[in-house]
Amino acid sequence: MQKIELMAPCGNWESMRAAVMAGADSVYFGVEQMNMRARATANFTVDDLKEIGEYCNSHNVRTYLTLNTIVYDHDLSIVKTLISAVKEHNITAVIAADQAVLNNARTAGVEVHISTQLNVTNLETVKFYALFADVMVLSRELSLTQVRKITDGISKEDVRGPSGNLIEIEIFGHGALCMAVSGKCYLSLHSNNSSANRGACVQNCRRTYTVIDNESGNELEIDNQYIMSPKDLCTIYFLDQVADSGVKVLKIEGRGRAPEYVKTTIETYREAIDALQNGTYSQEKVKGWMERLESVYNRGFWSGYYLGQKMGEWHDGSGSKATQKKVYIAKGAHYYPKPQIAEFLVEAQKIKKGDKILITGPTTGVIEMELDEIYVNGQPAEEAVKGDQLTFKCDRIRTTDKLYKMIPNPDV
Amino acid sequence: MIAVTLQRNKCIGCNYCFEIAPDMFRMSTKDGKSILVNGEDKRGFATVRVHDEYEDKANQCKEVCPVKIIKVHQCKVKK
Ligand code: SF4
Repeated sequence: MQKIELMAPCGNWESMRAAVMAGADSVYFGVEQMNMRARATANFTVDDLKEIGEYCNSHNVRTYLTLNTIVYDHDLSIVKTLISAVKEHNITAVIAADQAVLNNARTAGVEVHISTQLNVTNLETVKFYALFADVMVLSRELSLTQVRKITDGISKEDVRGPSGNLIEIEIFGHGALCMAVSGKCYLSLHSNNSSANRGACVQNCRRTYTVIDNESGNELEIDNQYIMSPKDLCTIYFLDQVADSGVKVLKIEGRGRAPEYVKTTIETYREAIDALQNGTYSQEKVKGWMERLESVYNRGFWSGYYLGQKMGEWHDGSGSKATQKKVYIAKGAHYYPKPQIAEFLVEAQKIKKGDKILITGPTTGVIEMELDEIYVNGQPAEEAVKGDQLTFKCDRIRTTDKLYKMIPNPDV
Repeated sequence: MIAVTLQRNKCIGCNYCFEIAPDMFRMSTKDGKSILVNGEDKRGFATVRVHDEYEDKANQCKEVCPVKIIKVHQCKVKK
């Protein structure tokens, strides 16, 4: 069986380190306003590209910069600036949608991947973009049979990209789905003047609606008011079929998600892909993987359109169905490297021996562990409360880190 | 007089403010973000004082900005 590349979403340094530690083969991220998560508060900047390149290259992880918003004339120069920065800092490729980006990247000799915004759904289109790009993500609306047809076509007709290699096909493997075709949605633009295609989606689709027929005044009876909010995509339970469809790259959605989401999702898919590779993939294992995926943010899962369902499945709640949630407890205070002791200052709530905790920070990434032994103000203790100085044995932490307690989510 | 403020690092370059008030805003051809014409920069917030007759335009820009980074204030007049 051929090896599938696992591609992780990174909205900030926490997620990037978590993804790399969790075993991602590649990461994708945006900088400045030129990406589909422009509204996010913590985007990377051009200045981060150097460190991203160095960090990921030293871990043999490929790096893809998303440059896939629609582009106006006043953006042309920032596009050029970003593409030359990609080249300078050895970022592997740019993910592009606009022809200006395709053209500029090709001219500069930067590898191009085709974004989902271009909605690739057939072999002809693949051949067309092969003039510019080596990797293409297929539209999320395709079934695996349709995907297979395209990947077969690529090898039969020997469709190669600028690098001289056969075109590699990528699909979305896990995460949020959008109600619009390949994210081309105008709802947010109409309601809030805030274009999803400039990365500023306000997520109108995730709210509740009632449908009234203006002619008769009748309200349509809809048993679930989240009429536009699809459940999240999950492919882990038919990953064997995904692999059979000839897909080379599995992309995980979630640049707006928390670092522990990235860690859990990537770790789980890493195991699943490795299991496929060494022939130990089984429904038994799938059960365990599903439980782990359900423990982090999700709107309930379905298989998307890959298995050929005709109707979408819709989410029936406002928030996450994650089985666990995090509660903020303490901030990093000090680390004693010799005895490997971490010191935190408790700022809220309390924490007990035996609690499951989560530590995140831009350099640390994500640490998840159980507290077997804790000390308060230097003395062994059962629990720590607000104001206490909490210490315990742990991998390296920093003063920029935050400590959370993981508790069962009461809402599910 | 009114004061118009722009927090430009959060700008997503959608062009709308410029569309409404081209004499108040300009799109930078360098980084694709909006520039407040004659704005004085203070820690990332550019501010300019303009005549009251611009108030409507300024308020329209404030309304239309998808990331809400344009603010309009009445300037305090010293008596
Ligand atoms: S309206 Fe707001 S986001 Fe759009 S260009 Fe002007 S300042 Fe930037």
